[in-house]
Amino acid sequence: MKKWALTILLLAGCAPEHDGTVILETADPDAVQLDGKHDGFAEKIKKEADSIETIYDTAVIKGKDQLLVAYKVRHLDRFKMKDIEKDLDKRIQEMESTEEVVVSSDYKIFLEAVRLKEDMEAGHLTEEEANKRLSEIIKLKKEMA
Amino acid sequence: MKPENYKKLASKYEPKKPVFKNCIRAFWTGGLICIIGQAVSYFFIFFFNFTEQTVGNPTVAFMIFLSMLLTGFGVYDRLGQFAGAGSAVPVTGFGNAVISAAIEHRSEGFVQGVGGNMFKLAGSVILFGVFSAFIVALIKSVF
Repeated sequence: MKKWALTILLLAGCAPEHDGTVILETADPDAVQLDGKHDGFAEKIKKEADSIETIYDTAVIKGKDQLLVAYKVRHLDRFKMKDIEKDLDKRIQEMESTEEVVVSSDYKIFLEAVRLKEDMEAGHLTEEEANKRLSEIIKLKKEMA
Repeated sequence: MKPENYKKLASKYEPKKPVFKNCIRAFWTGGLICIIGQAVSYFFIFFFNFTEQTVGNPTVAFMIFLSMLLTGFGVYDRLGQFAGAGSAVPVTGFGNAVISAAIEHRSEGFVQGVGGNMFKLAGSVILFGVFSAFIVALIKSVF
């Protein structure tokens, strides 16, 4: 028993500073805007995504030319993944978004979006670096298609 | 004695199969293996650059490797005796089928024994898996 406890403690020590519970629990991160504007557009999109009943957690990052919306779907509604994605995409397009819109229900994309937001808040990244990382996340999302 | 009569007579003395108990054991053990698999996939997502779509391959590879190791140490065989289909149906059962056949025939030599018999059990899984994947891919590319 002691050995197991020690192993778990050691493994927990290996975890990065980001909270691993982001995958399992509701994180509800604030929307991030990296385009220098303060029009609250990212926040509006987050509210719109949150208004969909089947979605319970959303992370929105608005870059210079790209907009990333990562979301988590309630477990039993995961059978309707494609419909939910279509609906969300349509709602965002209707909000007159001019950027390249990327929506994803992938946990990894959500996790990376939260990590980016946390790094921004901690001051580890400049706006340019953050935009670059956003592009990398979007590239990662497209990789799986 | 006719074979039918013999069967009837023998069935009287056969111990009854605990079907319900076996189902419960298979359900819990199979579920536990799936939980481990899910934890492994979250590990790959969290610490490496795998998405939900791409994490399947490393997870399956890890689970098969783990069951191969456990078979070598003799742990998976005991688990198989306890859980039956619960340990055979998940992908870990594939690793167990390959390694247990290899261990069984190692005395017959490395090429003809291990090499020739390694896929004796798992070969059919590979054959029908590849064949059905081919058919599905064919249907998908046509329509």
